[in-house]
Amino acid sequence: MKERPIYQVKQLVHRYWQEPVLQVEDLSISQNSIVGLVGPNGSGKSTLLKMLAFIEKPTSGTVFFEGKPVEPFSDTVRFQVTFLTQTPYLMKRTVFRNIKYGLQLRGDTDNIKKKVYESLALVGLSGESFAHRKWYELSGGEAQRVALAARLILKPKVLLLDEPTANVDVDSSRLIREASLRAREKWGTTLVIASHDLEWLSGVCDNIIYLFRGRLSGNRKTNIIFGPFTPLPGGFYEKNLSKGQGLVVPRPPHENAAAVIDPEKIHVFSKEDLTPSTGKYLRGIITRLVLEKETGNIAASVLIGSFEFCANLSHKQSRYSVLYPGEEVILSYDPGDIDWR
Amino acid sequence: MEYLLEGFIKAVQLIIEGDDQTWSAVSATLTVSGYSMGASLIIGIPLGFFLGYFSFPGKTKIRLIVDTMLSLPTVFIGLLVYAFLSRRGPLGDFGLLFTLPGVAIGQTILALPIVIALCATAVEAMDRHLRITLISLGASRSQLVLTSLWEVRYGIFAAALTAYGRVMTEVGISMMVGGNIKWYTRTITTAIVLETGKGMFAMGIALGLILIAIAFVVNLSVSFARKK
Repeated sequence: MKERPIYQVKQLVHRYWQEPVLQVEDLSISQNSIVGLVGPNGSGKSTLLKMLAFIEKPTSGTVFFEGKPVEPFSDTVRFQVTFLTQTPYLMKRTVFRNIKYGLQLRGDTDNIKKKVYESLALVGLSGESFAHRKWYELSGGEAQRVALAARLILKPKVLLLDEPTANVDVDSSRLIREASLRAREKWGTTLVIASHDLEWLSGVCDNIIYLFRGRLSGNRKTNIIFGPFTPLPGGFYEKNLSKGQGLVVPRPPHENAAAVIDPEKIHVFSKEDLTPSTGKYLRGIITRLVLEKETGNIAASVLIGSFEFCANLSHKQSRYSVLYPGEEVILSYDPGDIDWR
Repeated sequence: MEYLLEGFIKAVQLIIEGDDQTWSAVSATLTVSGYSMGASLIIGIPLGFFLGYFSFPGKTKIRLIVDTMLSLPTVFIGLLVYAFLSRRGPLGDFGLLFTLPGVAIGQTILALPIVIALCATAVEAMDRHLRITLISLGASRSQLVLTSLWEVRYGIFAAALTAYGRVMTEVGISMMVGGNIKWYTRTITTAIVLETGKGMFAMGIALGLILIAIAFVVNLSVSFARKK
């Protein structure tokens, strides 16, 4: 029998000031999985996390937790789901009292010092030198790690992380990533992580959910290009990307439309390869090559001007082309493959 | 100017030797301000929290009314409370006119807008991430409210101190509602008015110094509590 998903979201719509910011028709998240949430700023990642953390009630629709419909403050989830925001908030008290707060709410105060010190150790901080510090005696990275320790001490069933490494230094970022993954190893915690760090997510996630303008946009990264688009002779339009280079698109259906190109539909050629015969071309530089754990595909990020395109390398290309970051490449695409959102 | 200096010397003597009339006024002041502060904090903190924390229709209008009430003149409050508590007034049967509880009612009306407005301001300035953090750590609704209040405790201390300062030093309400009855409703401030009227500057200055000393002790205790 297939295991029941920990979360099921059905027909969810959330509005701020009448404006829909999140619309999710159907979403399931499996127990003990690691799910990545990816999307541009304002795509609804944080709102979705707040819904999954039962902090806000959706305007309409239902979030099911272990098969039961749940609302904020429900006893079913209060002690099982925890959420770490991008900007950590520490209460105006010592690190020790910040970390023990959640356990205190649960009435679990046995061996509290040992538990606090252990959770500090999980995020790479020494209890001896940090437990007594006041909330203002920490750097940004330390504060974020203390906030994570305050969640890890709860051994949560679900840990939701909103850009956990966005505002911290390299070391803190590594420790936060390691500690989050350890939660799954140790307690089978389900992790939902919103992050721009696609490389990390691609490496650890069982599933990546892409969000765009508040809607689910499939399980694969896609290229989204915002306007303005300027008209070209012959009915086509163009988005200027860098000096002398532009992405040619069909006529946009409305003023605010964004062009979408599937990474599968973009082909990458090294300059030594045979030049493709059809479609339009762009020149760019490979910035990253990432192996997608889920599919085994290699995703190439190619920088053109300030825009980073993502293209999936076919197995044939992966095998025969010698592509490496820093190399100048040619991207080919067919304007007919462009969709609009 | 010599009488001023004589006044100070006399004041120190009165304080050191202990004077029954002086201590009666001190006791009346502490009792009545205790009642009024207790009432205004119990009523004002929840209302201030509600006003600062939630958004609801008419919030700005209520805020405007509360802010305007910060400027209520004490004699006007005294007049209103007198009118309500006098024999002919709607609350005349309770016999509260010329009593300390009667004065406390007036002082509560004086302190309440201060507590509500300053608590609401403190709560409004609270980091919005606090709510998310507390819920995500497992707080129930009541734990959310109590911990949020604890987080803005310094703002609430400041509100209480400001209100206490105003209540302790007002004359209008104590004089009109209390009637300045010796051994009974005479507070430090009404005593100062009376003694000054009689030309007894030393007594007036002594009482003034005691009032400042009480304010100092209260502030010192709060500042000690903050450090803890």
